[in-house]
Amino acid sequence: MTESLHYVGKRLTRPDVAAKATGAAMYGADLALPGMLIGRILTSPHAHANIVSIDTSKARALPGVAAVITHEDVPKRYFTRSVMAEGMPPFAYEGENQDQFILSEKARYMGDWIAAVAAVDIYTAEKALDLIEVVYEPLPAVFDPEEALKPGAPVIHDRWQGNVAAVIEHPFTRGDLEKSLAESDHVVEFSGRNSRQKQAHMEPDVALARWDEEGRLTIWSPNQNPHLAKKTMARRVFGIGEGKVRWISTIVGGGFGARMSFGVEPVCALLAKVTGKPVKVVLTREEDFSGYNSRTEQRQTIRLGVTKDGTVTAIEQTILSDSGAYFSHSGSISAVNMQSTLGLLRSPVVAGKATVAYSNNPTSSGMRGYGNPEGSFVLQQAIDMAAEKCGMDPVEFRLKNARGVGEPSMWEPVLLDSCNLDQCIKLGAERIGWKDKWQGWGTKKEGRLRRGVGMSIMTHASGAGGFLLEHSNAILKLHEDGSAQLTVSPCEMGQGILGVLAQIAAEAAGLRYEDIHVMSGDTDITLFDIGSHASRSTYVIGNAVVDAGLKVKEILLARAAKRLDVTAGELKVEDGQVRVKADPARAVSVAELSHDAIYEYGTDGQHITATGTYQSVTHCPNFQAGFVEVEVDTETGVIKVLRFVIAHDIGRAINPQNVEGCLQGGAAQGVGYALSEDLVIDDKTGKVLTDSFATYKMLSTLDMPEVEVILVEEPAPTGPFGAKGVGEPGMTNVAPSIANALYDAVGIRIHSLPMTPEKVLEALQSNRT
Amino acid sequence: MTKEIATFIVNGGEYEVIVEPHMLLIDVLRDKLGLTGTKYACGAGDCGACTVLIDGKPSFSCLTLAVTAVGKSITTIEGLADGAELHPIQQAFVDKGAIQCGFCTPGMILSTKALLDENPAPTRDEIKSALAGNLCRCTGYVKIIDAVEVAAETMRNGGQGS
Amino acid sequence: MHRVLLPFEFAEPATVGEVVELVDGQKARVLAGGVDLVLKMRLREILPEKVVSLQKVPGLDYVQEDDAGLRFGALASLRQIELSQAVRTGWPLLAEALGSIVSVQTKVMGTTVGNLCVGTPASDVAPALYALGARVKITGVDAVREIPIEEFFVDVGKTAVGPHEIVTEIFIPRPVAGSSGAYVKLSKTKEDIAKVNAAVLLTIADGACTDAKIALGSVAPTPIRAMEAEQLLRVRGMSAGAIAEAAEAAAEAATPISDVRSTAAYRREMVRVLVRDALDKAVSRARAGGGRS
Repeated sequence: MTESLHYVGKRLTRPDVAAKATGAAMYGADLALPGMLIGRILTSPHAHANIVSIDTSKARALPGVAAVITHEDVPKRYFTRSVMAEGMPPFAYEGENQDQFILSEKARYMGDWIAAVAAVDIYTAEKALDLIEVVYEPLPAVFDPEEALKPGAPVIHDRWQGNVAAVIEHPFTRGDLEKSLAESDHVVEFSGRNSRQKQAHMEPDVALARWDEEGRLTIWSPNQNPHLAKKTMARRVFGIGEGKVRWISTIVGGGFGARMSFGVEPVCALLAKVTGKPVKVVLTREEDFSGYNSRTEQRQTIRLGVTKDGTVTAIEQTILSDSGAYFSHSGSISAVNMQSTLGLLRSPVVAGKATVAYSNNPTSSGMRGYGNPEGSFVLQQAIDMAAEKCGMDPVEFRLKNARGVGEPSMWEPVLLDSCNLDQCIKLGAERIGWKDKWQGWGTKKEGRLRRGVGMSIMTHASGAGGFLLEHSNAILKLHEDGSAQLTVSPCEMGQGILGVLAQIAAEAAGLRYEDIHVMSGDTDITLFDIGSHASRSTYVIGNAVVDAGLKVKEILLARAAKRLDVTAGELKVEDGQVRVKADPARAVSVAELSHDAIYEYGTDGQHITATGTYQSVTHCPNFQAGFVEVEVDTETGVIKVLRFVIAHDIGRAINPQNVEGCLQGGAAQGVGYALSEDLVIDDKTGKVLTDSFATYKMLSTLDMPEVEVILVEEPAPTGPFGAKGVGEPGMTNVAPSIANALYDAVGIRIHSLPMTPEKVLEALQSNRT
Repeated sequence: MTKEIATFIVNGGEYEVIVEPHMLLIDVLRDKLGLTGTKYACGAGDCGACTVLIDGKPSFSCLTLAVTAVGKSITTIEGLADGAELHPIQQAFVDKGAIQCGFCTPGMILSTKALLDENPAPTRDEIKSALAGNLCRCTGYVKIIDAVEVAAETMRNGGQGS
Repeated sequence: MHRVLLPFEFAEPATVGEVVELVDGQKARVLAGGVDLVLKMRLREILPEKVVSLQKVPGLDYVQEDDAGLRFGALASLRQIELSQAVRTGWPLLAEALGSIVSVQTKVMGTTVGNLCVGTPASDVAPALYALGARVKITGVDAVREIPIEEFFVDVGKTAVGPHEIVTEIFIPRPVAGSSGAYVKLSKTKEDIAKVNAAVLLTIADGACTDAKIALGSVAPTPIRAMEAEQLLRVRGMSAGAIAEAAEAAAEAATPISDVRSTAAYRREMVRVLVRDALDKAVSRARAGGGRS
């Protein structure tokens, strides 16, 4: 790209933030419609119980109550909470268990949805909830996925005997594993598990629903994938055509993967149908923590074989995932875990298998990184163990074995055409001062406070091109004043995608950034799009926007050529003007062209607009190296993160300020994931004990360590202006690099997240004995 | 006392509202006065998203009984901008990338205002301490602290806003 | 789980006398800052029929010092006391303890007396008040009584306040010359309730330790004094060995539990580490500053 760019690469102010700064931005809970009722949901106090009877008579008799519903009132149609399931290729879709109703006919976790009320206000709705009388027959419950798979364990779903929700073989398993390991000079094995990290988006779940006189349902909710959500709601939940549902994604107060699933929308829609009125359902924070959606707990073992010169010979990953009471993303997450874990390094022999179990824990789901942070915690420690066996510097080991350009990506049929991981590793190592700070394996450190450095590498997708449905559309339509409407359907959940797409549109079409008005989120107005997940929006939707922008530019050039009596090739469009390249003073504004095209009294009238489409065939992986320096207090076990350096292969940062913010935010979640965040479930009752920010500990301003971001910008051949995705990767390298730094500092490894001081101290003490 | 008509002083204006003792200030602001800028995120005083200024002091509106705020001067996020002109704190947040999803933003801005009203030249550490009761899940706080530094400088140099 | 509160009667009397007549500690509860009460009501952990506000009673938000010591009233906020120049100069141990509560809003809204009346052994304020020998003034319908802070905490969530009584004042005597203290706290993140917290106050005269107070939080049903550890220091002084032994004795005095924040074993070990750290800090502060508390 030799031309200078006007908007791409600039720290431009996002178009959506001023409204957020003034309080004018309307999130779901801020919306109201005339005659609206408030809905609240009754949850099960038992982790596993038959519902013997539900008496709603007292609740229904309460003045102001419009409806009380139970499982007896729901359509007997199963669906899966994950709306992403609709984007899967047919063979994978078969594996997505459709296992829940709008309200459960049996309580399968403490917090399961049993009944719901719609009333004139929230006070009445809650009073009505308290009047519903449910008789439960408690059943034995199981909270450990290993126990759930054992013969004789309580059966959670009759259709899935043995509580096996899914078994997934890694599709790129190859070679003779045992033979290869037997022939390797060294074999290391590391087992570990992640915690049920909670997305904990600041905006609690909410939905507003209304059926109109034509039998069409409109839903307002903070969903990341409105077109898929619309389809799931139409076809799966209600058995109606897709055209009967209009999904309007509201301004989203954080997603992090939680909102790739239904929240309260199905219940809300049914209450609206039954009452014939608009209904808004709200959740409390406690209900959000207890309800559903936390990161799936995955217990993994990795075996890694190497030659003595540090070449990987074989790698195997086995996973046991806890789906919780229902199936949502736990299957696809296990698959993506294996892809990112087993596809990062070059290895002739690869094996992967995941078993997904049901349990009476709340339904787990996808969270930022979607299997990658889960796998990396185990893989990157196994890599360091292998490097140690070979006496190799962890940096050198990774440089030696990480795949590069021309080699398969984590989705093997797709070869890497852009990979700058080497540069990320080198720049990150330099910035943290690796040469001086890493003193070799087995270096004994002294004193109460001991420092260590550690690293980790990762790859992540920019969309799911090649393995899931990838299809994005964008409409660019000019107004008479030369400004343009960009209609797209990502999910703006804070990552700044609306501004980024406006920058891309302006650059591609030759318009001015400030003249682009972005419209998104309404499935009646936007064209089909998968939405925002898998860090896809900049890459895939960006390319659709480029397509639309170039088409609009073509129209402008053609019309201007006629007007100025030159050929289109002699013209260029930039900053809202079409100029003759050889004589820039000869120009016509986009505004004039647009206006005159509409107000054309002959037969050459046109509303200048174009639709861009993009379907990615590659997931254009991004790469990242993370380096951390920690200080461990050997008397308290407290790990203090002194500095974290991220070097990210971004291709091109369309808006560097956005990218930095995304990576800094990811680092904060990563440190929490590594050290303090833990959704604790009582293993006798299934109660979520950490159901508030007081007990589920995320970082505050005072906990955030120093984070340095290095952007490696080598444009990716297929990315819009060379850009790759970055939405999720901020999290992935943090916990593994801290784990490896912990080993460097004090010679211990922790096998479960979070790496609390209690665990560190215990490991230190047993290490001494 | 059960139900009564009470006068709330919000952003310099007086509003008569029918209020009952069990109503929370956040719900009176949002549902009765239509000031939905104040956000409900936890209802437990753990996250600061619901922060408003009561007689200039940052308070959790989710834990304030509305009846106890009657007659006091309440400032919500809607009270900061001067027509179309953003308050310097709002402008700094907008310019410095301190706003991602925006849900913590109103509370964060009001806690910032309380800080700068008392301490016009805070250090980074003082900024962190002033915002320690405000959680953000998106930004990692880095650009929020940058924005507060910029806002403080603007306001010291006579930028608008009070 | 609930989003809104259940209805209740609300009274805003203008005198303490009226307040104590109305409250009964069960169905009629007193409201000071509300940070604890309102949340517990929303969660249905407390279901009062009547809430009696202190906020309209004038003259309860004082923070005053005189020669005898420091007094603050029932409505003095945590923030007021944290920022009080008198407290920072004369009772720095208390200011340090308050500084460990990092949420500004919590300190603005919450009263120090209210913090104590929650009756949690994890109170950030209590260990400092134990070390400083605070006294609690409790006003009832017919009588006013004053008890030492050690008698105030009775059990988890239970204090010595009777049904028709409220706490109206805390008195903290002026630390003697040569006092030097430190407050320490361990928690998962900085904005968090303590796993373990401790306050120590040493009296150092002519380089020797003549008195020691060690108060522990979060490791028993109430905050406690580690009496044996204190005695050890009085007898053996403040050498590194004595401090280590005192810390060991303090750990033995603790009866911690395992809960969502930490384990009993870790907490016990941390008593030893934190008490030692706090004592070291108090000693080095004495050496540096020549008498601080």
